[in-house]
Amino acid sequence: MHLKTPRSGEFLLLLETGKQTMKELDEIKEELKIDLNAVATPEGLDLIDTKFLGKQGKINQLFKTLPIKTDPKLGKQINDLKKDIEAQIAEKLDYILNSSKTATFDVTTPGKEQAEGSLHLITQAIAEIESIFLRLGFVRRRYPEVETDWYYAEGLNIPKDHPARDDQETFYVGDNTVLTAHTSNGQLREMELKKSPPIKMINIGKTYRRQIDATHTPMFHQFEGLVVDKDINITHLLGVTEYFAKAYFGQDRHTRLRPHHFQFTEPSFEIDITCEVCSGTGQVDKQNCKVCKSGWLELGGAGMVHPNVIKNGGLNPEECSGFAFGWGVERVLMMKTGLPDLRMIYSDDIRFLNQF
Amino acid sequence: MDIVITDSALRKFLETNADCETIAKDVSLCGPTFDRLRKIEEDTIYEIEVITNRIDTASAMGVARETAAILSQYNIPAKFINDPYLEPMKFQDGLSKQFHFNIEKNTVIRFTAISIENIHIKASPEETQKLLENCGLRPLNNCIDITNELTLLYGMPSHVFDLDKLAAQSLTIRESIKGEVITTLDDKKHTLEGGDIIIEDGSNRLVDMCGVMGGQVAEVDEHTKNILLIVPVYDSKKIRKTSLSAQKRTLAAQIYEKQPDPDLCLPVMSKAVELIKIRAGGRVSSSLFDYYPGVRKPKLIKLDFDWLNRFVGVEIKREDVISILSSLGFGGTIEENSLICSVPGWRYHDINIREDLAEEVARIYGYFRLPAILPSVNLPAEPKNLLLETEFKSKTFLSDIGFHEVYNSSLVSLSLLEKTLVDPSNCIKLKNALSSDYEYLRTVLAPSLMENYKSNQGKINDRVDILEIANCYLSDSGQELPNEVSTLCLMSSSGYLETKGILETIFRKLKVNDFSFKTTSTPKPFFNPSTTADIFSGKQKIGEIGTVKPVVLRNLGIQGEPTLAEINLVNLVSKINQKYVFSPISDYPAMMEDITITSKQFLGDIIETIKNTSQLIKNVQYLSSFQDKHTFKVSFESLERNLNQTEINDIKEIIQSRFKV
Repeated sequence: MHLKTPRSGEFLLLLETGKQTMKELDEIKEELKIDLNAVATPEGLDLIDTKFLGKQGKINQLFKTLPIKTDPKLGKQINDLKKDIEAQIAEKLDYILNSSKTATFDVTTPGKEQAEGSLHLITQAIAEIESIFLRLGFVRRRYPEVETDWYYAEGLNIPKDHPARDDQETFYVGDNTVLTAHTSNGQLREMELKKSPPIKMINIGKTYRRQIDATHTPMFHQFEGLVVDKDINITHLLGVTEYFAKAYFGQDRHTRLRPHHFQFTEPSFEIDITCEVCSGTGQVDKQNCKVCKSGWLELGGAGMVHPNVIKNGGLNPEECSGFAFGWGVERVLMMKTGLPDLRMIYSDDIRFLNQF
Repeated sequence: MDIVITDSALRKFLETNADCETIAKDVSLCGPTFDRLRKIEEDTIYEIEVITNRIDTASAMGVARETAAILSQYNIPAKFINDPYLEPMKFQDGLSKQFHFNIEKNTVIRFTAISIENIHIKASPEETQKLLENCGLRPLNNCIDITNELTLLYGMPSHVFDLDKLAAQSLTIRESIKGEVITTLDDKKHTLEGGDIIIEDGSNRLVDMCGVMGGQVAEVDEHTKNILLIVPVYDSKKIRKTSLSAQKRTLAAQIYEKQPDPDLCLPVMSKAVELIKIRAGGRVSSSLFDYYPGVRKPKLIKLDFDWLNRFVGVEIKREDVISILSSLGFGGTIEENSLICSVPGWRYHDINIREDLAEEVARIYGYFRLPAILPSVNLPAEPKNLLLETEFKSKTFLSDIGFHEVYNSSLVSLSLLEKTLVDPSNCIKLKNALSSDYEYLRTVLAPSLMENYKSNQGKINDRVDILEIANCYLSDSGQELPNEVSTLCLMSSSGYLETKGILETIFRKLKVNDFSFKTTSTPKPFFNPSTTADIFSGKQKIGEIGTVKPVVLRNLGIQGEPTLAEINLVNLVSKINQKYVFSPISDYPAMMEDITITSKQFLGDIIETIKNTSQLIKNVQYLSSFQDKHTFKVSFESLERNLNQTEINDIKEIIQSRFKV
């Protein structure tokens, strides 16, 4: 430790003004020297600061007890001492703060592990889908998964003897009740709820089909959009589709409509989105792309709501029109992540769940 | 329905310079989808997906008509040629042979038949054989091949019988009776379910499983000299039923179940006769039999031009609308602001309303030409959906502190219910389950989570912490539909207290009012009643937490003693305080005092009693117990002043007095 030594002129002055005063100043200096030698922390230094320079400190005591008024030099001496103490404390503080006394450690030691759980891929996909449609002003709904024949089929313009009924894909729980194979029951339910246009909803829910293979599980999820208002037209369906595709899959993706047929929409469309693997060209290294059909992947069905469905929902098809779509959550998830087998999504293995 | 046709067949009806790739690409966007192109020597094979209500396009002719209309919109010259509807037909009258069929009502839409005698059976010309082979059909002989070729070209099936093998003096078309037997051309014996359309000859033999496959008794073979040719249209639903139950998905059956155009019977009959004469010789020996009881009325639909433009979203010129519709075979008259369209016979079933016409115009005009516009819909504000928000908040919180979210099927097996002691009679059972693994709708989530727990044990480390949020399906007597109740289930390797602490944190974060945990005597059957609590908010039960019965753990092979909790989120959400309440922060310091109570009461009750002793008690923290002695840290605080030790001692005395026995 390096301390400032007092200058010799100061001692001469003190000798002249009286030995008593000089002794007191000396004592303070000596005490400070001992204190500073002993102190090792900024907090300890704060105490020394208070002891010498505080309101009740030793320097202030000197000002109170010594005859400063009769001896102007004396005042200067004390002030000099004060400055000297301030300087020494500052120097010591600087030394303490900058001399690293903390033990060094191996900064590459692994950090202490914290519990880390995971939200399921489906939850993440639904949250993302929901947020995209909420940005567009849709309201999210949830409608029954066990449903009556009216909401599931008859009211959606699928009469009792229609071939679409015997596709063997539907689970029945009663003579007149099914597990929904699509989320379109939400269309009628929403129209009944709102009673009049406008309608702009997204119904996300579980759906069920009697199928199991690499691209089908008996339970899966769909999101159903429905927009009904005065003069809703095909370009609006295109607008929402394109917005979703770009927001969910990426800015460079495009969509197209192809003619299709569903009982509850007229016209009906199949919506395709450009394939990411081949960038919509259908070719990878001069070979046909293995993922898509000529550059396009099927996203799902959509269409303009059939006037009978609007009527069955209690609205007047002469006064409003609408579009609807029903797409698979797992399907868009697989398209986005490249997961090869839908059944993987339903694995309960934490080593799988952990990855997302 | 998927069909296979060749490019050369397509071009029998199409005049264009467009190459195969262009045709496939452009038509896919506006009409049937060309799934695949396959180049072969001197030809191209198309695999085409026919839209389910467009059976008129399940043929070379049908695809050609669409292609001609579509290519024109791309400014590619293309013309639909050899339209069979326009070609003259001649059927000779007054021939000696007259067939009569006894036709049962509601079996056929139209039935046409003719006989040809003195034919020579041999192989078909090479061109025909190639066409059939390329389209996946097997060439047999010149007569049978003609019927198959015409099906591919025109989408209208026909059938030939060996006339000499039929007892043709009496032919009956009727519905089958259950148990009747027919052997079809592929040598398979079918016992009919009843209600199938069949032809019975004069010797009471079944000679045709109509619309699906012919009967073997009247098969045309190399010895055949005389034939009976039929071009019928059957009742579509009956054909579908027979085809599905006999598991014969022949091309004819797939076409008939979508009901082809009865107006096409005679043009195809005329073509068939012409080809038979050319390829097999022979002469027509009977007058044409033509049974067509319900001749259809012309179908007219009004299409308002302004409405069309509003519906499509762009303005399409009137002359374009008219040219598109006429290129598809529509006729009609123009009124002031609308078009009265007459629907061609081959579109009789799929075109019914103005929206159908709008589709025709818009798709041929090109969906790809339409702009993408976001609708501006002024949806009034809606209250927030607290249930959805709560589900997401809960699972996010749990996953943040180390839980893994799983998704299980809503359908579970009887075996799982039995292992977890859940009464299956309360569960909704599927009427047509896919397998016994997916048969009952869940009324609780815990059994699935216990399975997940078991399957994860030993995989990662010694801990398994999982959660699921899904609906339970509770049947409600008197209601047609079950109650679908959003439920949170979590299962953890942690003990009861830690898991309970997690729930308490969730409840506080969600602002659930006044929750408490109470002993229960009748928890769900898999819970161990002595170590399970009912969870309440006020008087509303919102869930259960506890350990699992040893027998259930053993049934599932679970090691250790995990904690399980199941929360009814619908009930929980009803108890969420949605108002923001501000409680002022005291300027005066709180005072902490340890206090030891001797009591045999439940700790929860003791804490309640302490809390309720004075308004100055801000918090009661449990520290430890030794037998009946329980120690708590109690904090006292006032908003108005500093507290002094005397008044705190007074309160402590009151507290103690409440536990004096």
